[in-house]
Amino acid sequence: MGFSKFKVEINYVLILVWRRLQKELMSLIKEPPPGVQVDTESVGQNLTQWKINIAGVAGTLYEGENFQLLFKFNNKYPFDSPEVTFVGPNIPVHPHVYSNGHICLSILTEDWTPALSVQSVCLSICSMLSSCREKKRPPDNTLYVKTCNKNPKKTKWWYHGFVTHSCDDE
Amino acid sequence: MDENTQSDANNDELILQQQRQIEKEISETTPLVSDKQTISTLNSEYNDDAVYCSKVKNLAEKYISLRKTRPDGNCFFRAFAYGYLEYLVKNKDDYEKFRDLVQKAKDKLVKQGFPELTLEDFHDTFMDVIDRVAPSENNEENLQELHKLFNEQGYSDYIVVFLRLMTSGQLQEEADFFFNFIEGDCTIQEFCHQEVEPMYKESDHIHIIAICKALNANVRVEYMDRADGDKVMAHDFPEVNKPNVFLLYRPGHYDILYPK
Repeated sequence: MGFSKFKVEINYVLILVWRRLQKELMSLIKEPPPGVQVDTESVGQNLTQWKINIAGVAGTLYEGENFQLLFKFNNKYPFDSPEVTFVGPNIPVHPHVYSNGHICLSILTEDWTPALSVQSVCLSICSMLSSCREKKRPPDNTLYVKTCNKNPKKTKWWYHGFVTHSCDDE
Repeated sequence: MDENTQSDANNDELILQQQRQIEKEISETTPLVSDKQTISTLNSEYNDDAVYCSKVKNLAEKYISLRKTRPDGNCFFRAFAYGYLEYLVKNKDDYEKFRDLVQKAKDKLVKQGFPELTLEDFHDTFMDVIDRVAPSENNEENLQELHKLFNEQGYSDYIVVFLRLMTSGQLQEEADFFFNFIEGDCTIQEFCHQEVEPMYKESDHIHIIAICKALNANVRVEYMDRADGDKVMAHDFPEVNKPNVFLLYRPGHYDILYPK
């Protein structure tokens, strides 16, 4: 009895996750922000993993470059943030982006809220790239890439401090 | 050097693993909102602590029972919403005003710049819950429904999100006023993004003042900590009105109280 009630609740939560992802996908296909394009083929295969193409904004250091982001969602989305990394042949050279594609951005972990979305994450990443004044890797890139977990959400990032994996602009 | 970093990375994982384990244990053993319990059940948490025991005794002079909420950082919002809706179910006039206020809150937040795409799911769910417990001749049934919905993660957390967004909206609307209450050198908007809108972030006076104002609620918080004295300290938000929600605060946590 208790067990079957549990199962029903889980399914209800999964329906909410699915509904939310569908809605975000439709919105992103219909009204994509400039320079952001969802790879519908990747989503067609699996609603919990999306590839999104990002174009470097004209007039910035990344003008003319193209990047690809991979979004992974778990069944606690949107309460848990999506796992977001740069993938593919071109990882942007940026003080907050490690060469393995991991991104140091507070809204991807600590400051994530369920009111954010794939769209708002893409816009934040675009604006992070656009405001860059010097193309360089984070200072601890070599060590981090060697030792980190595959999932960037398993890194204990320090956004406002100066301990390991810190990427405050100084 | 390499070894150190390797162990840093391992430590990160251990810390996070331990956090997840604690969260899992809490969610398996504590309901989101418990059944009513007598005030004296608190004694079992403080068996030999003289300060706390005398404060529990003092609390029991004013309150008949309490409901415990899950300590997940959302406890203030969950306790507040539950307590306020319990009051509203029994007070039709205030319920109607409240329903109207929440109904209009979505457009107001969208105008303030909150994204409609994500906001509306939380708003719809909150409205759904409000309608499902609308005052009727059989309020006992409504209160049971309320209890059931608040213990279903799908509903309960959606309500918490919407209240967090309303709190953020209120803080930003009156940024000039609330700015005086925040520590450090961040703006109200940054404060909202870091301390109000994300789930599981604990609430402070500033959150309580803002949500009470946004929803016309009057909350009394009874403070119970290790400070000297043998009485709990009551604080009303706002100070001038008769409270309709009663909460117990112990450092880092809120539960719901029922006055005698």
